[in-house]
Order: sequence, then structure tokens, then C-alpha cells
Amino acid sequence: MKGISEIHEFVQELLTNSGDYQPLADQDSLLLSGRLQSIDAVEIVVFLEENFGIDFAQIGFDREQIDTIDLIFSLTQTAGAGAEGSLPQ
Amino acid sequence: MNATVQATEMSPLRRVAGYVAEFRIIPRIETFPRVVSFAQTALGRITVLVVFGLGLRFFFPDLLSALSLTFLLALMTFMPENRHFILAVAPIVIVVRQTFQDPLFLGLNLAVIALGVLLYWCVMRWPQSRFGQRPILFLLTGFTVLILMAGAAKPHSLSYSIAWDLVGFMAGYIWFIGYALLDRSSKPKRDLILELASFRPLWGSTNTPFPKGAAYLRRIEAQNPEQLAIVQLKGLKLLAWAILLALLQSAWINFFHGYLRIPTAVEALNMSVRGTPVAWHLRWESLILAFIELVLSISIMGHRFIASCRVAGFNALRNTYRPLFSITIAEFFNRFYYYFKELLVDLFFYPAFLRYWKKHRRLRLAFATFAAAFVGNGFYHFTRDWQIIRDIGPWRAMLNYQTTFFCNAALTTGLCVSQLRNRRPRPAGLFRGKIIPVFGVCSFYCFLSVFQISERMYPLVEHLRFLASLFFVHF
Repeated sequence: MKGISEIHEFVQELLTNSGDYQPLADQDSLLLSGRLQSIDAVEIVVFLEENFGIDFAQIGFDREQIDTIDLIFSLTQTAGAGAEGSLPQ
Repeated sequence: MNATVQATEMSPLRRVAGYVAEFRIIPRIETFPRVVSFAQTALGRITVLVVFGLGLRFFFPDLLSALSLTFLLALMTFMPENRHFILAVAPIVIVVRQTFQDPLFLGLNLAVIALGVLLYWCVMRWPQSRFGQRPILFLLTGFTVLILMAGAAKPHSLSYSIAWDLVGFMAGYIWFIGYALLDRSSKPKRDLILELASFRPLWGSTNTPFPKGAAYLRRIEAQNPEQLAIVQLKGLKLLAWAILLALLQSAWINFFHGYLRIPTAVEALNMSVRGTPVAWHLRWESLILAFIELVLSISIMGHRFIASCRVAGFNALRNTYRPLFSITIAEFFNRFYYYFKELLVDLFFYPAFLRYWKKHRRLRLAFATFAAAFVGNGFYHFTRDWQIIRDIGPWRAMLNYQTTFFCNAALTTGLCVSQLRNRRPRPAGLFRGKIIPVFGVCSFYCFLSVFQISERMYPLVEHLRFLASLFFVHF
């Protein structure tokens, strides 16, 4: 599935930067479990804005929307502009 | 290579280090399968509740309060299908019981709860309206107008009493209502019973909602008997930890302030203002002790609330989690008083971050941090102390608030720098990567705590004088 691997890689990097080296599955809770913090949620928001054209000011923001890699991916499918091509390769 | 071979090949030093890392003062009972199985049986549940009730008694001044809360927790344990209803109704019953002798108090309190429900209904009914788009802005503006109107009422008149009582009740509920309004973006929507349950919940809270609002409660609720058993055991552990910390706090105060006679920070500042400061080393000691005592008291308070919340069946994160191990200012802010930080993030940081300065990453982050740590933090504390606004008027109250404004400005600057620096790779090694950053972070918050000592009693200059005197600078 194109797109989800880039999201996985990005989230993995956030976790590594915060000293979390635990395995990461696409269904694992990131924010509600406390693995990532509010500032990391900001990084995810910017990532989604820049790479998928999602405007949270328009669609409303709830951290649950980006709590797992699967949820982030489905958000990019439903709310984003489908700009997969703009992802850094 | 299997684990057994690895273990035998491990050096004794590593084994000791591993043992120390894994050591827990309170064992992780929620990971013991037999304990979890037992906690799912009727006898096991009763045991957990009895032990928890005995623990609660440590914190409650009277037996009846501890018994009442334990009884309600027992109802939710044995009738989890009615958990939301019990949580929603019990606080209202408590309000009625506490205020039924004063019909005005009772009426105003219920009116504020009804207003919260009405606003929630409006935001759900008209999500695309101006109010639906910016509910927090409307809520806080409305509250400010109410305070100004109360300030304009003729003192000691009936309207004056009603207006200020209303302000008092609103101040107690405003952040709970704020979270309810934020639920417009959450899924699944519309659960009025749970929204009501999250308004000053049964397990207690400050003006800060513990743990956040209904949407969060919905996500962390135990869904089956096994989850309930695990979360209740975690609650029991947390209460035990709170009791240990409270005992430590008591011993700490007796030893340092009683036996060693080190003045409290309040006493040291008082002496400094009177022109008869205590010895230099005592000023340092009083400040460091005050900082650690603050961390202890916030930990105990939060653990107590979250422990009861967990026994009610909600797997909430701790309010305080190892703040003295933080290596950045932002991390400490997150670990010290988690639910207050979450309040500022949800109601101020994200709305500002998602709307403004989108093309300027650093400015955007700094502006959102300012909105949360300065504006939100300031508004929270200024309106929390509404009695001061009532007694001396809004403008003089603002002047009286100068020390806290300064403290918030320093905190905002620290958080901005910390978050912007957070993007850089961290230095490796124990000394540069851990010890120096931890020392720096603790020093920052320790100095900041100077501005939280009797902050409404003395002007900013006295706090600055006290801080400067620690470094032999006198003015």
C-alpha cells in the first residue's frame, strides 16, 4: 500500500527521536498510550498538511484521528487531496 | 541464541543494572496472570475495593466520604453497564446534598451545569455556525463578559451576590464545559450522559478536568472484565504510591523544616521583603525544598484522582510521571501536571496552531505556545482566583497578577526555545545527554518557582530581589 510505508517511517523516526525503540505496528496507539506527546502530534499534523494537503482547521482536529498509523493513513485517504506523489521518496 | 544462554553470558554488572532497572517498589501486579484472574472474580473485586477503600481513608478526613466513594466504585464495578449513568448522576446528587439548604447556591450550580449541557447541544446541533466553529472563543469571551458585568454590579446588592456566585460556579465548571464543546470533533459523537459524567467527576478534580473530557473517557474505558481487572489493579497500585509519597512528604517536612529548621520558601521570602533576610545558604535550601515539595504535592494530588478514576474503569494516564528525569523544559511541563498541560494544548495550542501562521513553521509553533502557556495559562489562573477580582476589581487584580504574568512569560520563552531546539539531535552519553540536561531543566523550574511563592502578596520586584540575592546581587 503506497503511502502507509512513508507514514510508518515518519512515525518510527518520531518515536526514535523520543527514545522509544519498541517495535511499532500499524495498529499501535501512539498518542493516547502516551508513546508520543502533543509536540509529536504537531509534527504529524505538519507532515499531513505538507504531504497530503490536509487542512485540520477545516475538517476539525481530534488526536484520535492520528492515534495509529492505520488511522493516519485512512485520514489521508478520506480527507487529503490524495497527493501521494508529493511524498518525499 | 536463546534467552537462557544470553542470561548466563551476561556480566554480573549488567545483571545488577538490569535488576535495578526492573525493580519496582510496588510490584507490577497487573502483569501477574493469577492476580488478574482473581481480580475478575466476585471475591477478587471485593478484595480490590476493600483495600482501595482502606487506602482512600488515608486521604479523606471522614469515614463517610471514603465509604461513599468506595460504594459508588463498587456499584460501577459490579454493574459496568450502568457506569456512565452512575458517574453522571452521582456528582449532581452530591451537589444537591451539599447545597440544598441554600436554594440560591443550588439553583446557580444546577444552572451552570444546565448551561454546559445547552452549549454542548448547540455546538452539536449547529456545527457550522460561528459558535460551532469557534466554541472555546465564544465560551471564554462570554465568561469574561460575565466577570465584567459582575464587577459593574452595585456592591452588596442582590444582583452583585448572584452575579459573583455565578462567576464562582462558572469558574469551577468552565474548563469541563470547554472539553464538552471540543467533543464536536470526536467520534462517536453525542453521549450526553458521559458528557455530564465528565463535569466535575466523582473521583475529584481541581478546576482542571481529570482526566480531560468525555471523548477521552470513552476511549480509555475498560471494555471487558479482564481489562477492568487490570485497570483496577493499576488504580490500586497508584493509590499505594500516592500514600507512600504522602508519607515521604510528611517525613520530609518534619525533617527539613521541623528538625533542621530550614525556613519554607514563603518564610524566606517574607524575611527578605521585611529587610531581614535569612542566610544565603538557607535561601537556596528553602527554594530547592519548595520546588521538590511542589512536585511531591502535585504528584500526590494527581495520583489520588487518577487512582479512583482507574478503579471506576478508566485507564487514564498518570498526571505526574517522573518529572525530575525530564531532559527538556517542554518534557518537564508535560510530565509535571499532565492534565493541565493537556487542557492548554487542547483548548489553546491546537486551535492557534491549526489556524495561524501556517507558512512560517517556527513562528507558528512559537505563537501556539504563546497562546497556551501565556494566554491560556494566564486566563486559567486569573479567573480561578475570581474572589480577588471581586474584592479589588478587575484592573487592580491585573496589577496584582504581575508576578504570575512575568512567570508565565518566562515559562513561555522557555517552552518556545525548548520546542524549537527539540528538532535538533540530542547529544549522546550519560553526562551530556542526561545529567546536564536534567540539571538544567530542574534549575529552570526551580528558579521559576520563586515567582510562585506568595505571588499575589508581593510585587514582582520583591521576587526578583529574592532571586538576585541567591547570586549575591542586591538592589
